[in-house]
Amino acid sequence: MSDLCCEQQKLLINLRKKKQNLLYEIQQIKDELCEVAAEMESLDFSQEDLRYSNKEKQLQLGRKKFNMTPKKGIEYLVINNLLKMNAKDIALFLYKGEGLNKTAIGDYLGEKHEFNEQVLKSFVELHDFTNLILVQALRQFLWSFRLPGEAQKIDRMMECFAQRYCQLNPDIFTNTDTCYVLSFSIIMLNTSLHNPSVKEKPSVDQFISMNRGINNGGDLSRGLLESLYESIRTEPFKIPQDDGNDLMHTFFNPDKEGWLWKQGGRYKSWKRRWFILNDNCLYYFEYTTDKEPRGIIPLENISVREIQDRNKPHCFELYASGGADFIKACKTDSEGKVVEGKHTVYRMSASTEEDKLEWIQRLKQSISHNPFYDILIQRKNKASTNR
Amino acid sequence: MGNAFSNWFKNTFGKREMRMLMVGLDAAGKTTILYRLKLGETIITIPTIGFNVETVEYKNIKFTVWDVNGQDKIRPLWRHYCLDTEGLIFVVDSNDIERIDEAKEELRRIIEVDELKDAVLLVFANKQDLPNAISTEEMTVRLNLDSFKNRSWKIQGTNATTGAGLHEGFDWLGNQIDKR
Repeated sequence: MSDLCCEQQKLLINLRKKKQNLLYEIQQIKDELCEVAAEMESLDFSQEDLRYSNKEKQLQLGRKKFNMTPKKGIEYLVINNLLKMNAKDIALFLYKGEGLNKTAIGDYLGEKHEFNEQVLKSFVELHDFTNLILVQALRQFLWSFRLPGEAQKIDRMMECFAQRYCQLNPDIFTNTDTCYVLSFSIIMLNTSLHNPSVKEKPSVDQFISMNRGINNGGDLSRGLLESLYESIRTEPFKIPQDDGNDLMHTFFNPDKEGWLWKQGGRYKSWKRRWFILNDNCLYYFEYTTDKEPRGIIPLENISVREIQDRNKPHCFELYASGGADFIKACKTDSEGKVVEGKHTVYRMSASTEEDKLEWIQRLKQSISHNPFYDILIQRKNKASTNR
Repeated sequence: MGNAFSNWFKNTFGKREMRMLMVGLDAAGKTTILYRLKLGETIITIPTIGFNVETVEYKNIKFTVWDVNGQDKIRPLWRHYCLDTEGLIFVVDSNDIERIDEAKEELRRIIEVDELKDAVLLVFANKQDLPNAISTEEMTVRLNLDSFKNRSWKIQGTNATTGAGLHEGFDWLGNQIDKR
């Protein structure tokens, strides 16, 4: 600093001040951003809390999230204190598997991550394979989740499985590795015999020669390998069934369900439909036993009101709020294609006045409002009138 | 003589088949490649418990690609599978520089399997679209591919998500079996 002349020193001091100010302003902006972000987050949460006020609802949402993205589902359940972030609790949750998709369980267990591997270990430990022959134990194990197709994942899973099997049945194999390699080999056999992409199906002799030397350098008994081969050949591993991957689960435990008369969009005829209100969506079916809905109306940016109809009693209708022409919805047409709905309003008739009021109340609770949607509609309208 | 005739017959009139193994570290993109290859086909597949296996038809050649890999302990098993394997696809994540040495080691271990000594080697340097991806030239050096003297090999940059580079790789494989 002493090398600089007076003028330059002043300039430098000024520059430093400016820098200080700028840094301060940056910090201020950062702080503000943080505040806004926190506010937005709390808004998100309070909305969700409102919708899923009770634990059961949150649990259901968590399961659904899990079925879409396993990691996110677990995170959600942990944040909402429905699950503890430890391997044992998560393993138990997956083992019970209520409402969970078994492919999602397999994906989570197969993840190459230290924590997931711990969960896998705990998960396997929940299985009881005592006094089961190996192939039966494998069948039981592979029913509890959908085995992923990646070799590395299968490898880790078979290693865990073998450890548990040998722990419970210590007299069957001379060491755990033999059991692990044999289990892996059985999965290969199932793939070869039953995957249609594999054209050349191995014979029992080929299977036996493939397993040469896997018993501590020695061979396993021919009888054992023959019986394994026969078991897999005659009965492939079943694809595990679950209750988490079809729409039925969505319609389980709804907010409200019942028969209503619904007026058509283009043709104003009345049809009796089974309505289910769940997860901010209104679904309608032709029969109560239908697995797939005829129509889906997302309860977003629409409103509900009572209405008098000349032909039907106890009417109410859903209408688009914010100036949209049509209600965003979809339905299945007569040919089974999914098409966009053409309703400006959905008019419904309930069987009693009480039922009508209850529908209106429940619908109002379920309708969510996205302010950006209104802004967008306004802009669209403006743009079209300007043109 | 009979054999020569049947080969000629196969090459002229029939579909040829090529059995492949696909290996590589996890998350290199093997599964994505397998499914990318099947894209656009409308074959109803019967789901099977087990390894990812796909049959891919490309230019009259039928490739059966297996994802088989695992720890050394299970190597004895797939030695058996290697017997009729004509090609090896090795997939490496070009963006995961930290694990390239691990990948190199993996490749070396597979190449040493005796039953694979005649198999051609196709290296997919995957994830070329990512910002830190190293080039195929650099990958050649890092994997020390030039040391494979008695083997036909090729390295091909790919982006499995879009499918870029995959066809070039399979073209090369096709040419390799034409030579046999």
